[in-house]
Amino acid sequence: MSEIVEEIREAYQAVGIRLDQPAAYGTYYRLLCAGCGRMVGNVGDRLLPGMARQIVDEQFDLYAAGLLGCACGHQRDTTQRLNPERWRRSQARYGGLTEGAQS
Amino acid sequence: MSEMEIIRDAEERGRTDLWPLWRKAYAQGDPLPKFVCQVSRPAHRFDEGQALPEEYKALLLKMLRHEGERAGNKSFLGFMGTCLDIAEALFPSREMKLLKAEYLAEELKHAIMFHRLAVGLDHDFALRDVPYAHYAFHLPRETWADDAYFHFFVDLNGAFHARDWRESSYVPLQKMSATVERDELGHSEMGYYFLTEICSTRAGRALAQKLLDKWYPAALDMFGRSDSPNAPKFIHWGLKSVGNAEIRQAYKAYVDRKLLALGLDLPDERKNRRFL
Repeated sequence: MSEIVEEIREAYQAVGIRLDQPAAYGTYYRLLCAGCGRMVGNVGDRLLPGMARQIVDEQFDLYAAGLLGCACGHQRDTTQRLNPERWRRSQARYGGLTEGAQS
Repeated sequence: MSEMEIIRDAEERGRTDLWPLWRKAYAQGDPLPKFVCQVSRPAHRFDEGQALPEEYKALLLKMLRHEGERAGNKSFLGFMGTCLDIAEALFPSREMKLLKAEYLAEELKHAIMFHRLAVGLDHDFALRDVPYAHYAFHLPRETWADDAYFHFFVDLNGAFHARDWRESSYVPLQKMSATVERDELGHSEMGYYFLTEICSTRAGRALAQKLLDKWYPAALDMFGRSDSPNAPKFIHWGLKSVGNAEIRQAYKAYVDRKLLALGLDLPDERKNRRFL
């Protein structure tokens, strides 16, 4: 596994998302909910160093508020355990917006 | 009926009030800026089968590697597969999934067109697997809004480059430029249509605003560095009309206007940029 793919895997693992096996001839990976296994997106392996960590970190509020992540709520719960204070701030910022924001 | 007529017929039977989305955009006038070369250069013109100068051929192949939409490029076909995956997992309705399928059909049409061009240029290149190198093609897509931004920004990049190919010194590329430009503009409009739907709710707009921080710098970075040493060579040989900074500036003006119309705030254009 390349360093970039390892960085992507670690970044997503922190918020409760698992990197699946490579698809599309090794260039792209499905993102699966670590709680229920549902596909929640995909990502390619040509991100620049540090980019995956930054993107996932900047999306923390969205996972915490349920605007991103699986409908089962696993990423919302995982981010709450990861950083309860930041999670509470996310609720204050995005609370009440969750319905209908994503599919 | 010739093969191309059959393809054209199939395409026209797919038309609805909405699809293809380029129709509405072009009905209101030319949606894209015209790029005029500002430097003096020789008038080159090369057709398929002609011997190409070494530097010219190398630059043309470099440009086509970035473009990527070739039937012989298995990474492109793999990328198309990820598009279906995304639509199946994240899109909100059958109507939107069908629009995505129309998009795929057109991209596969381009794959045939660019395959023919590649075969006429270099057989080894026609068979070469070239994964997309730019990070914009690899950004995570975790919601319908991510995919909407991908199409709005990335396909529009293709439309801007195809517009410039109208003046290309390579005749096969110049001949297909209008079709590719029109289709790619339509794909961008599809993304914008999705964004319009998404931004119609407070939650959707909040999501779109946050995700814009991820996509906006990538979109501007796609044009490469403003001081690219290759840009003057592309212009000299008639493969491009303007440099990276000029085309990026025109693109930025276009996307900014449309993003503001959605009620979104524009990010700082230098924030998170990798290729200035």
